[in-house]
Amino acid sequence: MSTYGDRGNIICLEKRCEWRGIEARVTQVTLETPVRELKSCDLIFMGGAQDRQQKLAGDDFLHHKGPVVKAMVEQGVPALFVCAAYQFVGHYYQPYQGDKIPGAGIFDLYTVHPGDQKKRLIGNVVAELSCQLSAVSCQLKTIVGFENHGGKTYLNENPKSQIPMTKPLAKVIKGFGNNGEDGYEGAVYKNSIGSYFHGPLLPKNPHIADWLIAKALEMKYGKIIPLENLDDSLEWQAHSQML
Amino acid sequence: MSWFDSIIATNAKTLSKISTTLRLGAGATWPGEIALTVKPNILSSLLSGLRKGIIIVAGTNGKTTTARMIVTILEAQGLRVIHNASGANLLNGIVSALINKADWRGQVSADWGVFEVDENSLPQFIKSIKSIKSKVVLVLLNLFRDQLDRYGEVDVISEKWQKSLESLNNVKIIANADDPLIAYLASSASRPGPSFAQATAGRLEASTRFFGLDDPSQFQKKIEHATDSTFCPTCGTRLLYEGYYYSHIGIWKCIKCKTKRPPLDVSECDYPLPGLYNRYNTLAAVAASQVLDIKQETISEALAGFVPAFGRQEEFTIDGKKVKIFLSKNPTGFNQSLRTILDLGAKHLLLVLNDRIPDGRDVSWIWDVDFELLTQDEHVITVSGDRVYDLALRLKYANLNQFFVEPNLHHALKQSLDVSSKSETLYILATYSAMLDVRKLLTGRKIL
Ligand SMILES: [Zn+2]
Repeated sequence: MSTYGDRGNIICLEKRCEWRGIEARVTQVTLETPVRELKSCDLIFMGGAQDRQQKLAGDDFLHHKGPVVKAMVEQGVPALFVCAAYQFVGHYYQPYQGDKIPGAGIFDLYTVHPGDQKKRLIGNVVAELSCQLSAVSCQLKTIVGFENHGGKTYLNENPKSQIPMTKPLAKVIKGFGNNGEDGYEGAVYKNSIGSYFHGPLLPKNPHIADWLIAKALEMKYGKIIPLENLDDSLEWQAHSQML
Repeated sequence: MSWFDSIIATNAKTLSKISTTLRLGAGATWPGEIALTVKPNILSSLLSGLRKGIIIVAGTNGKTTTARMIVTILEAQGLRVIHNASGANLLNGIVSALINKADWRGQVSADWGVFEVDENSLPQFIKSIKSIKSKVVLVLLNLFRDQLDRYGEVDVISEKWQKSLESLNNVKIIANADDPLIAYLASSASRPGPSFAQATAGRLEASTRFFGLDDPSQFQKKIEHATDSTFCPTCGTRLLYEGYYYSHIGIWKCIKCKTKRPPLDVSECDYPLPGLYNRYNTLAAVAASQVLDIKQETISEALAGFVPAFGRQEEFTIDGKKVKIFLSKNPTGFNQSLRTILDLGAKHLLLVLNDRIPDGRDVSWIWDVDFELLTQDEHVITVSGDRVYDLALRLKYANLNQFFVEPNLHHALKQSLDVSSKSETLYILATYSAMLDVRKLLTGRKIL
């Protein structure tokens, strides 16, 4: 599923590996892709989609690839879920009218659509990363992007019954974030990230891109492999422009 | 038109005159806005003054050029035409255009109205013409992803169109057969009842005419990224393409429900402008003119002298150097502009990205543009605009490492002109508000 600049996230990961001499191969997972090919991946990205495509890919994902991705995420394979995919990895999506649409249940979160007449949450967003990603070495603790969603996402369905394992990715400084109410944006579970940020997310937030790459290497080789520094002056300039 | 309508139209007209005098812009849309607030059905009243009928041009890309071509052809035939200014394609813009041409009694006197209509305003516009007795021609060009924050997604728009098209009768539809979603909408509108598959299998009623290309030499070798409706509009299966012309435009079929590209009524003519997308615009204009019984000779002659609208391949000469502006407002448009200028042998490029309201606030789409087509050795590139660093970053990730980054448009323009020689052309690809800014600088000759 790829729309609205999602390709930028892939290009970003690909190039940042290439520039460091890390060999990376991109496999596009479609409805027809066999499960074993998906299992062989070291990093997963899922993006937004138009409704028509989303429904098709959604049914397939829920029944066939969803459980596989869930198992991979549980093992610690890093993944990035953006926008529609972010909503999809939660427990469910509650449309304005009609029944709940079940999600893949990978992250402890759920999404509610407050109705067609409610204003969509649209605009440039800035947020400050929370501690989970503090291992990332970077100049800035902020993330920038563009959000555009009708649904509102809430973390931790049953906060009392268990220790919340799914934690917010960042605290909103400017914009709406997950729901425009609790001040949080995105979610982190194990080595996986969910976010509403388009922009696309990774090119202007190279620290997030590198965190995912580092986690992928760590999982693959069973040890921490330090990443070579890149000249990110243009990346940070584009980032700072949005602060 | 009632006495009450006349008063509103005349008052709004006076306002419009004042706005023009005060240099608030001749294409101001607020006289229409006021008229619409006071009298919501003013549009139907004004439109009923058109003697022969209304031609509506809708689609994501190419509206302005296609509408302008139709106007050129009609005027060559000696007909009086009213049309809305480019960009003023919401209801208030159309009402303003009509008010501007109304007489002191607030009455419109012309043969045809040719209107480009925004995707989201089309259903509302169609609603206001339902009671009109004169002829209606609806030209459906394409549906691409535009800036997401301004418009609904393609699927949402097509659903709205389908509903409103069903309500129309007595309309001639001119539709792009190579765009599956447009072909589907046109077919289901022209023959409600039987399925799309049945409709495309046989000849359609004369109420729909399809245009498209039968030129495999123009098929793309590699598929662009900005692809939308690749799924069958009838059954949801992934479509099979004999070849893509650009984006999701091509020769398509569905292997499951057997729906396929409808047979073409118009597939060739002389093209006055370069670029594959302009072939579609021209074919649409020709197909529309044919249903108005305009002679082929008149059409060809009119098109041969066609002058594009501002910012659409518009040419300037600055200090003996040629400058050509290509409005490039979304991924499909941008990819088409890139392909066209590369075919023209472009060496010097100025790329300008703004994120104001008319451009769309979200610039994510630049990652769906195939900047990988540009190379370090062949192209001298300058980037500018409100979001210059986003554009620069995109180029960096497209394997380009030497280009000029100049936030100040004035300097960027001067710089691009300085490095090009007199025999060369500077190609400027810009989003909507950026294109207006570039024109202002070029027509004001402020740069030198
Ligand atoms: Zn089908």
